[in-house]
Amino acid sequence: MSQTDSIKVTMRVEVDPETAFEVFTREIDAWWRRGPRFRFGESGDGHLRFEPGVGGRLLEEQEDGQLYEIGRVRVWEPGERLVFSFRARAFTDGEETEVEVVFEAEDAATRVTLVHRGWDSLPKDHPARHGLEGPAFTSMIGLWWADLLRSLRAKA
Amino acid sequence: MKSDVDLTLAALADPTRRGMIDLLRKKPRRAGELAEAFEVTPSAMSRHLRLLRTRGLIEEERHEDDARVRVFRLRRQPFDQLKTWLERVESLWTDQLSSFKAHAEKRSR
Repeated sequence: MSQTDSIKVTMRVEVDPETAFEVFTREIDAWWRRGPRFRFGESGDGHLRFEPGVGGRLLEEQEDGQLYEIGRVRVWEPGERLVFSFRARAFTDGEETEVEVVFEAEDAATRVTLVHRGWDSLPKDHPARHGLEGPAFTSMIGLWWADLLRSLRAKA
Repeated sequence: MKSDVDLTLAALADPTRRGMIDLLRKKPRRAGELAEAFEVTPSAMSRHLRLLRTRGLIEEERHEDDARVRVFRLRRQPFDQLKTWLERVESLWTDQLSSFKAHAEKRSR
């Protein structure tokens, strides 16, 4: 696996990759856990949905109709891969992270691998960004993080 | 409101400073050694050192063999906080994927 980012969670799901992708996206409201720890609005009970396709939004709609944009779809490959930006409440305004979900066939099931990266994202005009465009920057940080994290874990 | 973890991440959002942390993970170093390793001027190095110090990532101490020499070493605490935070994010996603798995498998049955 070439993903070397710091937070990576993987799980085997007993459905085929097409179904897994479908459920992950279209039924996100049914499986995304409820409560203020997981959802974004105050009530912890807003309704989540993906607008399908690249550029589509991941939204949480509150009961009063108020919309919160959690992120936008960057890659939409049904049955294979989904990438979206992710702006959790815990992050400072303007700070955006990225979530990548890969769906791989494993026998009759699917290996789902989720990588959450880039939470040390910088303001766009930060000098450290010079000469490093988004993905290169993110993967460099990712590699460094993975290494640091391994060493932290080894020490613990 | 910036948390401690935010400040740690911001301090690390610079290639030279990350390199410095890497070197300091091995052992404490003098400012001059660090400036040499990264081919930056002493004044640029002292700016980096000051930032890492005000964010609490490193501290200055006397060299154990020679009290006239001052060296910089990593502080454990911000890295522990970072680790705790990363583990929290990881457990959040593990919860989410477990819930996704349960839903997907129940639905297809």
